[in-house]
This record gives sequence, C-alpha cells and structure tokens, in this order.
Amino acid sequence: MIENLTPPATPDALKQARDDFPILSRTVNGKPLIYLDNAASTQKPQSVIDAANRYYSHENANIHRGVHLLSTEATAAYEAARKKLAQYLNASDESEIIFTRGATESVNLIAHSFLEPLIKPGEEILISHMEHHANIVPWQLLAERTGGRLRVAPIDDNGNLELDACLSMMGPKTKLVAIVHVSNAIGTVNPIEAIIAKARENGIATLIDCAQSIQHMRLDVQSMGCDFAVFSGHKMFGPTGIGGLYGKRSLLKRMCPYQGGGDMISHVTFDGTTFKEPPSRFEAGTPHIAGAIGLGVALDYIESIGIETIRDYESQLIEYAVNRLKSCQGVEIVGNPDHRSGAISFIMENAHPHDIGTILDTDGIAIRTGHHCCEPLMNRFGISATARASIALYNNSDDIDALVDSLAKVRALFG
Amino acid sequence: MCADLQSLYRETLIEQSRNPKNNYVLEGANRRSELKNPLCGDVVTIYLSVSGDRIDEASFEAQCCSICRASASMLTTRISGSNRLSAISLAEDLIAFLNESDSVIFENDDSLQALSGVKAFASRIRCATLPWEAFQKAISD
Ligand SMILES: Cc1ncc(COP(=O)(O)O)c(C=O)c1O
Repeated sequence: MIENLTPPATPDALKQARDDFPILSRTVNGKPLIYLDNAASTQKPQSVIDAANRYYSHENANIHRGVHLLSTEATAAYEAARKKLAQYLNASDESEIIFTRGATESVNLIAHSFLEPLIKPGEEILISHMEHHANIVPWQLLAERTGGRLRVAPIDDNGNLELDACLSMMGPKTKLVAIVHVSNAIGTVNPIEAIIAKARENGIATLIDCAQSIQHMRLDVQSMGCDFAVFSGHKMFGPTGIGGLYGKRSLLKRMCPYQGGGDMISHVTFDGTTFKEPPSRFEAGTPHIAGAIGLGVALDYIESIGIETIRDYESQLIEYAVNRLKSCQGVEIVGNPDHRSGAISFIMENAHPHDIGTILDTDGIAIRTGHHCCEPLMNRFGISATARASIALYNNSDDIDALVDSLAKVRALFG
Repeated sequence: MCADLQSLYRETLIEQSRNPKNNYVLEGANRRSELKNPLCGDVVTIYLSVSGDRIDEASFEAQCCSICRASASMLTTRISGSNRLSAISLAEDLIAFLNESDSVIFENDDSLQALSGVKAFASRIRCATLPWEAFQKAISD
C-alpha cells in the first residue's frame, strides 16, 4: 500500500496561528522550538497571556462577595467564562459547568460527591485499559473506601477498545462507566456514543474524560448524552490550574459538596450548614479567577478559528505524521487505532524513549517520553515507555518533517 | 551532533549500554533491591551476594534507557569483589558528583567519568544515579 505522503495544506484560518503564540518564536538549544508535546500541555496565545495581565492590572478582586465595583466586575468576568464553556459544550444551562483545578480534580470531585454516597459493596465502576491514571486511581481509592469493584474493559492489539466486551461488562451492578474520549498515550478515539447509549439503557451513569478531545473536536454534551465530562484548561490553550467538569443539572443538584468552605454555603450555624445550589456548592473558597477568565479567552481563540477547521486540519496532519513515521526505518508505532486524534506513540528498536527524547531536544524538538500516566496501557503492550508526538492547531508538516529528520540521527547513534 | 550530546553519548557509554556487563539475575544473591523512577517508569533491580565485608558478586536487571543501563553495568563491575564500605562510599561520591555541578572527584576515572555527560541534562541525571541508589538500598536493607 502506498501511503499518502502529501503534506496537508494549512487552511487560511490557521495561516497566522503560529504568530499568535509568542513561545513558538523562541529557540531551544539554539534551534527554533518545535513543540510536539501538546497532549501534556498546549501553548498559550497572546490573548490568553494578556487576559491574566489585564485581570491582575485592572480587575483584580474577590468574587461573589464585594459590593464594590472591582468585585462586581471580577464576578461578571468569572461567570462569563462559565457561560462561554457552557456554550462551547452546548450544556443546557451554565450552572452545569463547575470550575476545578483540572481533569484530575474533576474526576475526584465526581468520585467523592456523586458516586461515593451511591455505591454499595460489590457494585462496579467500569473503566477501560487505556485510561490515564487520573481516571483510574480515584476509582481505586473509592473502591477501597466503599467495597466497590473496579472493572476494566479490554483493548485489542491495535489499541482499540473492545467495544462488545465493554458493552457486555455493563450490568445490573455497574454504577458508573468512566471512559476516556481520546487516549492521551496512543491517540485512540473511543466510540463513546455506543457506550453512553448502552449505559443509558441500563440506568448507568457515564463520565467521559475529555482532556484530550475538547481542544481537537466539537463536543456537544447534550447530543453525547453523557452525565459528566471532565477537562483541563492548560490542554486547551488556557492557563494551568483551571479546568472543569460538565454535569447534568439533575445529578449535580442531588450531589453532596466536595470541599467545605466559603462561597458554597447558604447558611452556617454551629448546629449545621445548608449548601448553595450548583455550581457554587462545588466551588468552595476563592477560585482561580484569573485562570477561569483566561480559559474563557482560550475558548474565544478556538472559536475564532473554528473547531471544525481545527479538527479537519489536524486529522490530515496526524495522518501525515503517521505515514511519515511508518516510513521511518527502525520506528515502530505503538497502537494503530481505527480512529486517531492528536497523538502518536512510537518506539525504536535500539534506542530507549528517553534517549530519543534527549536527542530530539537538542534539535529543539519537544516530545514526551515515558509511560504518559498510563502504566496499565504500557503493560498491555508489554513495554514500559514510548516516545510520543502530539499536535495542536499551530503545528504543520514542517514540524513532522523535522521530527523525522531528527529520528534519523537517533538511528545513526543507536543503530 | 552538538557537543553536549556527544559528551552524553560517549562511545564507552553507548558500548556499555549495548553490551552491558553483569546483566542477569544473580542466583543465590542475599541482597536484592528494585528501584523505580516514577517519573519515567524505568526500573532497575540490583542483586548482591555479600559475605561479611565483601561484595562477592553484583548483577542487575533493568527496563531502562541507555544511560541507566550503562551506569548499572559500570556499578556492578566496580563493586563486584570490592569491600562493602568502599562500595558504599563510592556510591555516595558518584551520586554527589553527578548532582553537584562543580564536583570533579572522578576526573581521573575514565569509565565513571563517562557518566558525567548527564550533568548538562538535568532531566537525565536520575537515569545515571538510579542503579546506584538501588545499590544503596540493597546494601542497607
Ligand atoms: C486523558 C487525560 N485525562 C486526564 C488527564 C489529567 O489532566 P490534569 O493533569 O490536567 O488534571 C490528562 C493529562 O495528561 C489526560 O491526558
């Protein structure tokens, strides 16, 4: 089979995108930075950087508590960011968006406030073999606390979820299915529609880990039909330390608080406390206000280009990258999923991923090496680590070509 | 290739990582310690057969990068047949040497000096020290 090695054309909406990200013009080890570690964290456009600056220079105040102008403005900006997220995800109401520190905290919040009060000994949480540790460990801890059971849906040798097996593991004991939408380690796009449909038929709650999909494709939580979706701001061009979750309003209303403190209460006496409605119930204390505002600006940035444009371009670029890497001597791609987004993992015969990463770094190329917080997935493939290239909207075929050229140097050194 | 990279991947190091010495499970070892670098997932196991003050034999098994494997090969070669206390102090010195930028203790030791290339790569220092830390654990357990 002759693979398509034609580089994708950059659409007009993305032609200037690189200029929007100041970090992309820096050098690393004397070479122009080629950033292919976007699954770990994306870079930030100037508008997001400016938003933090503007907030601290002109708007800084605590929210939801002052009568003065600054506090009113800060509150409005923070809530406007929530509204933008609700619109981006097509949530039916902005109160369905909870701000957290990121995907990890979101999963922990759902474990603590939703599932823990509900699950009984012997009841089950279903995840997949390709989950990030953030969607494994909170459930393990919960299972230990409650006597619940963690079950793992298998994947095949190509890194596809074994859908039939997954569906058949949903039974009367299953309380929650928590599945990654797009694998951060190998790029698999999971058939979440079928999983959510089966779960709904059986009255099972669903959590979709959207940390690696929200920046690459349109997510419409209403048409997806999931109960919860989690994400991180720093992987979608926003600041670190901010992220969130979508939760169906009917469920959020029934859930208990996550942390106690200010801002989440209606009344406090020493005899007891009543809690606010969602989303406030889940946002105790002063939140990352600048972060939330920055995340809103990141969404504006994505929308200014168009998420469909981004998706179409990236899917061509990732296909180009797969085909280039396939034709690279000594390189073996780990995982060959039917549908891929964002990331490619690979190994080389004689060079360990860290050695690959170090050599690429001296060429200014940033990739991730290691287990990608997916040790069970690595074990499934019988390896301990991979090298991973992951793309974002500002990458292009030159970046992939540079990667391939640099891999030739690795081969020259390690054979 | 840039100078730092050349200094990191010296021939002796590449050679030892390709053909490491003492890379086996030591039957009859009376000390064994496995150490993992949780950041990257690399794992090294050091096996020792110790009698009295002497380390009779040392070996290792590893799932790791070239630097870690070469370092484990050097470690086990050095300490096999050596005095327990001098091996302990060698490990201390080497770990300090790799972690401290101005240290020159191993200037006259070609083989261990080959590890010094990691000093220019902060993220790789632990790759070189991991086997030595595993040894410290094995000998003190
Ligand atoms: C699929 C997936 N889920 C969850 C997370 C956790 O995200 P964070 O560390 O931002 O909380 C990540 C981050 O790598 C991820 O890729």
